[in-house]
Amino acid sequence: MGVQTLFQRSYNQMLMPAVLAVIIFAVLPLVGMFGLSFTDFNLIKGWGGEVGLHNFFKLADDRRFIASINVMLMLSVGGVIFQVVMGTLIAVGLEKIVPRWKFMRGIFVVPFVVPAIAVALIWLSLFTPTLSPINAFFDIFGITVPAFLTTQYGAIAAIVIADTWASFPFVMLLILAALQGISSDLDEAASIDGATKMQIFWRITLPLLKPALLMVALFRFIETLKHFPLIFVMTNGGPGRSTQATNYYAYIQTFQSSNVSYGAAIAVFLFLFAAIISFYVARANARISGA
Amino acid sequence: MKPSMLKNATLGAGLAMSVALPTVAVADEINVVLFAMPYTQGLAKLEADFEAATGHTANIEVIGQDVFENRITLSFTGQTGDVDVVHTPVIQVQRWIEAGWLRPITAEVDGMATKDDILAGPLDAYLVNGDRWALPFFAETGMMAYRTDLLAAAGYDAPPATWDEMLEVAAAVKTDQVGALAMRVAPGQGFNMFVFPMIMRAYGGAFFTDYSGGDLTPNMNTPEALAGLEVYSQLMNDYGPEGIGNFNFGEVAASIQSGQVAMIVDGTSIAARALDPEQSQFADQISIAAVPSGPAGRSPAIAVHGLGIPADAPNPEASFAFIEWATSAETLTKIALSEPYPDFIRASVAENPEVVAKYEGIHPDFLNLKVEMLGDAIGHYRPLLPQWPEIGQIVGENINAAVNEIMSNEDALAQSDADIADIMSE
Repeated sequence: MGVQTLFQRSYNQMLMPAVLAVIIFAVLPLVGMFGLSFTDFNLIKGWGGEVGLHNFFKLADDRRFIASINVMLMLSVGGVIFQVVMGTLIAVGLEKIVPRWKFMRGIFVVPFVVPAIAVALIWLSLFTPTLSPINAFFDIFGITVPAFLTTQYGAIAAIVIADTWASFPFVMLLILAALQGISSDLDEAASIDGATKMQIFWRITLPLLKPALLMVALFRFIETLKHFPLIFVMTNGGPGRSTQATNYYAYIQTFQSSNVSYGAAIAVFLFLFAAIISFYVARANARISGA
Repeated sequence: MKPSMLKNATLGAGLAMSVALPTVAVADEINVVLFAMPYTQGLAKLEADFEAATGHTANIEVIGQDVFENRITLSFTGQTGDVDVVHTPVIQVQRWIEAGWLRPITAEVDGMATKDDILAGPLDAYLVNGDRWALPFFAETGMMAYRTDLLAAAGYDAPPATWDEMLEVAAAVKTDQVGALAMRVAPGQGFNMFVFPMIMRAYGGAFFTDYSGGDLTPNMNTPEALAGLEVYSQLMNDYGPEGIGNFNFGEVAASIQSGQVAMIVDGTSIAARALDPEQSQFADQISIAAVPSGPAGRSPAIAVHGLGIPADAPNPEASFAFIEWATSAETLTKIALSEPYPDFIRASVAENPEVVAKYEGIHPDFLNLKVEMLGDAIGHYRPLLPQWPEIGQIVGENINAAVNEIMSNEDALAQSDADIADIMSE
């Protein structure tokens, strides 16, 4: 037996625990979820047998499900845009404009380590006019701050703001890492050629950040598809159903309506949706990186 | 002994121990899962009393209501057997029975020496299909709490007796600084659907054509229900505090305790909190009154909570020992004295001089008013159907959308009828 074969065998053996863990904790639940989505299982009524694609056809006719996709997209697209813009601006500011403020990185990271439920409770109190110090402050000057959580788009904006506050540090950290990978020689050369700081940012820094921006936007987009604690604590899906994103709707179907199989079908939809988006973003990233 | 035999014997012994050990532990330890309210919080402080009384130990876990429902659903469906006693709201009991999640306790309850001391209404709320499924510990009803000083300043010596009068008083009391009335508006069967039926039923509205007669045709899209919803929407939007459209019971309680509203209509436990000088900044200026009535009379909210035994509980005798202790006159009296808990369900507790002194001290009419409201309440205030949690959720969303002006009142009721029909047809 050659050394190479021995090496390969021990390599495979060492890899086996990780492979098993992935199979047990990721693949099997996923297979189970797919399997459930083709059945009719209700927590109260029990097992109703296999129903093929019935749950997926039902999704196409379900107005609440379609409305939940709109909510999900508003929360996700809005959240990703704000998080990426804010995280990038702060990263560029700390790295390029005021590097002596690097100590601020630690402060900016604080919201990222706050548990999601605590984030939701903090912002719930800030957006509840009778509890909010912001409202109390503006009341002194006779200014009434609107109640965000009681209007359709206000509630969506409130969740986007809370999510942006909690998640922009993730973007900031990744963009900081990407910025440190860009040679300062490029900036210096452009500066010698007479480029202003804005021109350097738009023409050199930003194009070089594109792959990192694309990947961080993808990470955040997939994360925002999983919005739950903010909705659960801040709005309960309200007002009306204005903040019932798709995964929250899956929760309602599974736990409140007891339709486990239908909830699984919604989860399958979300999985496929995220997978397709990831595929196209990864392809775009490869194209940009290769260019 | 061959090594393989030794290995098998060791494994077998280990397996036997792993099976045997939990059985021994379960025999002495009772795992109790409850959701937060004054009674359950008071009960959690009395674990040592249970051990002294029975020799068993109890692990009492008190969690938020939403979290509770998910936690318990997972436990029931997974048949984990990790819960010995479960908080059993009457509104969920039909659903849990249909799913086979509860164990009947008919013989145990009927064998209790002190059964007749329990008020018949709450006790019989758990009598379904001829069996008893839980013992009640709490029977809450609707009540109004109001600021006497703010109403007097607006020219009113008495609180509004009807919902129409409420509109008039609210218009006079509301200022830029203080809202007139706070009620729950957040969507959910235990949230806005705990309070909205008080107004809807007062105007003659109903969920079904003839619930008592068995005609479960959805019937919310009626002029009567519309009149109720219009009053509710107007009261909240025109005279409620800022942000009322997302208020739940916590915000309702806080708003009157901190002086941000002049009146609330909610459950008796929230009214008791408003009157508690330790929790309420304006307790000495707060009084209580009956839930307003309407053209069809008065319909105070009612909520009954009890303790049941999950079907998969491994030691039902010990579970029932806990329930019997937790709902005994002695335990209820202790909690009634230590917490804002006026919703006890034993006649002897209501006659206890210390308890009477405490609640008369908070307000002389408190206990009498509570009894009056319980007398006016109907048992099926929220329909006692297995489908109710789902109906309550979806109708609650529609009503919340109407109050927040995302849907018209008419559309919300029409949509509710359609949604109820869908649920009932499944």
